[in-house]
Amino acid sequence: MGKKVLVVDDDADVRTFVTTVVEANGYTPIVATNGEEAMAKVRGDKPDLIVLDVLMPRESGIRMYRELKTDDALKTIPVVILSGIAKRTFLRSQAALTEFGGQAVPEPVAYLEKPAEPEELAGTIKKVLG
Amino acid sequence: MSTLLLIDDEEGIRKVLSLSLRKDGYQVLAAENGEKGLGAFRQNLPPIVLTDIKMPGIDGIEVLKRVKEIAPDTEVIVITGHGDIELAIQALQLGASDFITKPVSDEALSIALKRAEQKLEMKRRLKEYTHDLESMVKAATEELRRRYEFEDKLIQASIDGIVATNEKGSVVIFNEVASRIFGYSRLEAIRRMDIDVLYPTEIAREIKEGLYGKKYGEEHIFRWKEINVKAKDGQEMPVRFSGAILYEKEEVVGSVGFLQDIREIKRLEQELIESERLAAIGQTVAGLAHCVKNILYGLKGGVYVVNTALKSNNPEQLKTGWDMVNRNIGKVSDLVMDLLNYSKEREPDYQRCFLNTIAGEVCDLMELAAQEAGVKIIRNFNRAVGEVTLDPKGIHRCVLNLVSNAIDACRFDLDRKKDCVVEIKIALEDKDTVVIEVSDNGCGMDEEVKDKIFTSFFSTKGGVGTGLGLLVTQKIIKEHGGTISVKSEPGKGSTFAIRLPLRENV
Repeated sequence: MGKKVLVVDDDADVRTFVTTVVEANGYTPIVATNGEEAMAKVRGDKPDLIVLDVLMPRESGIRMYRELKTDDALKTIPVVILSGIAKRTFLRSQAALTEFGGQAVPEPVAYLEKPAEPEELAGTIKKVLG
Repeated sequence: MSTLLLIDDEEGIRKVLSLSLRKDGYQVLAAENGEKGLGAFRQNLPPIVLTDIKMPGIDGIEVLKRVKEIAPDTEVIVITGHGDIELAIQALQLGASDFITKPVSDEALSIALKRAEQKLEMKRRLKEYTHDLESMVKAATEELRRRYEFEDKLIQASIDGIVATNEKGSVVIFNEVASRIFGYSRLEAIRRMDIDVLYPTEIAREIKEGLYGKKYGEEHIFRWKEINVKAKDGQEMPVRFSGAILYEKEEVVGSVGFLQDIREIKRLEQELIESERLAAIGQTVAGLAHCVKNILYGLKGGVYVVNTALKSNNPEQLKTGWDMVNRNIGKVSDLVMDLLNYSKEREPDYQRCFLNTIAGEVCDLMELAAQEAGVKIIRNFNRAVGEVTLDPKGIHRCVLNLVSNAIDACRFDLDRKKDCVVEIKIALEDKDTVVIEVSDNGCGMDEEVKDKIFTSFFSTKGGVGTGLGLLVTQKIIKEHGGTISVKSEPGKGSTFAIRLPLRENV
C-alpha cells in the first residue's frame, strides 16, 4: 500500500481526475466532497497529503485549511491547494483572517491553479511525499 | 453790462439817448447812419440794436434785415416818426422786437428795453434749456445704446440658442448659438426668416397660435422638451426647446425660443450605452470562457483517465473516464443549446402534454445531484392540472434551470444545520392560468443580485454558471405568453413563480 492522499473537491470530475493521477503514481486516494466530510476523514484515515479545493459549498477550503493548520495533531500534514481561484487571492483571504484575530498560518506546501496538467499535479505530489 | 447799438442820423437824439442809456447801465455804441451802424454791429455784435427808420442811405428797415441775417437772436427796436404806423408794422413783420415813436420818451424806451432784455433772457434760457435737453437726450441715447449693447452681448453670449420673433413670427433676434444650431448666419435669418422655416410644424403652429390667437394672461410658455429642428443643410438637429410669447402692456409683441444643442449629450448617451453594451459583452464572454474552460478541464481529465485505464488495462477505470468524457460533452451541448435558444427568435413548439410529467422528469433527473448536496426535493403537483398545450422541451428546460438553481442555492448556503428543501409546486391559479413554483430555503439573494438575474448574463456561481440559465428561462416563458417572477430573502431562500396561460389546442 502506497501513501494515502486525501482528495477534497465538490466536483465529481475533478475528484475522478485527481484520484486517477494519484493512483497512477502509486499512491492510495481517499475522497471527500466537502470540508465536513474531509475533516472526519483526516482524523480517521490520517492521510499523508491533502489535495484541497478552495471553493466548496458548506465548508470552504479556506476555513478547512485554517482548521488543519491550527490543530497541533494535524498541522504537519502537507496540503496542496488545487483551485480555480488565483494563489494571490487565496493568500490574501488567509492574511485577512489572520488579521481578523486568528493566528497566522503557514502557506500551503504547493498551490496549483485549475486546470492543472496531470504531469504537474503528479510531479507536485511526488515532490512533497518524497 | 449789456452793449447797445444806437443808430440815428440826428446828432441831438443820439446824444440825449446815449446819455440816458448810459445812465441806465448800458454801454452805448452810437452810429450816425445805417452803413456805419452795420459796421459797428459786425464788429461788436451787441445783443440790442436801437435804430431810427428814416435815415438817408441804408434805412432802418434795411439795417433790421441785415442785422437779423447776421445774428437772428439780436433784439432790434425801431424808432419811428409819429404816424409811421405802416413802417412800424413792417418792421415788426421783419422781426423787430418792438417799436417806439418819436419824440422818444425815457419811459417808453426803458419799457421797450426791459422787454428786449426779458426776451433776450428768455432766449438765453431757452437756448440753455434746449442745450440741456440735447445733452440729456444724448446721454439717454448713449445709456440706451449701452443697455442695448449689453443685452445684445448677453443674448450673443448665451450658451442657449436664442431666436426671437416679432408679433408676426418673423425673426428679429438670432444669436450665435442659434446660428450654430441652424447653420444660418444672423444676416440670413434676421428679418428674412419665419419661425415656420426654423421650427418643426407643430411648434411653429403653437407659437403662431400664441401670437395671433390667445388672449393675454393665458399661460403661453413652452416648457423644455426635446425636439428635432431642421438645419440649413437639411440635417435634423436634436435640441431641447423652451419658449414663450412676449407681451408688452397686454399686447403681443413677439415670441422667444431657447434652444439647447444636445448633440453632445446624445453622443455621450450613445457612447455610454455602447460602453455598457461592450462591458456586458465582455462579462458574457468572460463568463462563457470560464464555463467552457471548466468543461474542457472535465474533458481533459476524462481523456487522462481513459488513457490511464487503457495503459493499465483497467475496464472499470475506463468506464469512469468515458462517463466523464460523455458528461462533459453533454455539458457542452447544453451550453450550446442555451446559447442558441437565447440568440434565436423562435415560436414555441406547442404540443399536448402533461405538465406534472415534465416536472416529474426534471425531479428524477436532479435527484442524484440533490442527494449529493444533501437537499430534499418535494413534489407538490396538483392532479387537477391535466393535459395542457405548451412546448414540452422548452418548459422542461425552464423547470430544470429553476430546480438546479434551487439546489445550488442550498449548496452555497453556509448554514450547515439547516435541512435544505426544494419544493416544486404545480397548481391552477384560475381557469386560464397554471403556476409552476420552485422554492428553496437556501442562501437567497439580496436586492442587487435580484435586479440583475433577468437582465444580464450574470452568475454568482463562479465558474459553474454561465449566467444564461435565467435569461433563457425568461425568454422561453415570454414566448409562451407567460410571466416569471421572484421573491427572495438573503439567508431564507427564494421562490420563482412561472405563470403560463392555458391554451385550448395545439
